[in-house]
Amino acid sequence: MMKAHPFRRVLQLAAALVFVAALGLWAATGAHRGWTRTQITEMHRDEITGLDYPVTRDSLVAGIDVVAAGSGLAVVLLGASLLVGRPARRAVA
Amino acid sequence: MNTTIRLLASVTAASAALALSALAAPLSFDFKDPKGVNNVQFSLDAPLEQITGHATGVSGTISFDPANPSATTGRIVVDAATLTVSNAMMKDHLHSAGWLDVAANPQISFEAKGLKNVKTSGDSTTADLTGVLTVKGVAKELTVPVTFTYLPGKLAARVQKMEGDLLVVRADFTINRSDFGIKPGQMTDKVAEEIHLKLSIAGAAPKA
Repeated sequence: MMKAHPFRRVLQLAAALVFVAALGLWAATGAHRGWTRTQITEMHRDEITGLDYPVTRDSLVAGIDVVAAGSGLAVVLLGASLLVGRPARRAVA
Repeated sequence: MNTTIRLLASVTAASAALALSALAAPLSFDFKDPKGVNNVQFSLDAPLEQITGHATGVSGTISFDPANPSATTGRIVVDAATLTVSNAMMKDHLHSAGWLDVAANPQISFEAKGLKNVKTSGDSTTADLTGVLTVKGVAKELTVPVTFTYLPGKLAARVQKMEGDLLVVRADFTINRSDFGIKPGQMTDKVAEEIHLKLSIAGAAPKA
């Protein structure tokens, strides 16, 4: 039985890590189904005028683009792992 | 004697008329807001994407007469550079030459021309305000429902040691981006044609 190339395992592990990290980040920041946000806006109320006004602060909310990018990178790494350690084809004369 | 009484009566009447006319004079409300409360919120709901954001750089003046709200006039200006959305890249696109071209058109303004259907109840007045909205250098006349809330003597509660009145203005209306030359008919699946605007601003009229 052929033994798997050690680098193949590393790539497969990296693919799994990238996918889980992207999914984990997305879930941990609120599983937002839109694009990634770099700012959060909260509404406050001015007591004198009764007006609602936005207060913005910097914060990362991962969107589906992060999940898509993580999945894409994982697929590329998995694909690369399949190519690693394959015996090169010899040209037939 | 009669002449003196007549003269006194005339002076008193003139003084009273002057005082009344001073009371009835329209007040000029300044909407520059150091507290950063004044804002315009916008939202676009396209089939593939919902965009929400706001602008806080509001300034301008409104002349409002509590005794005669229908005579209201004024101009409100929004600093286009303060338009922001929750995504930095999207904000850059919004400000770019292809969309609002903020560098060439730094102001969004609304010039109030007149009010119709004015209804006052207590300190609150509702009306249909007709004016000219200028976005990206394109001016268009439109009529929007508006609510004025006059808060006499409330300025001191907001700004210490400053006596005066406050005027709160709220408006909620929709415009079409194609009317203002903002990529008409393009990318409507991601950027809706209709822009919903919500104006929430307060102006101050300090007493001299």
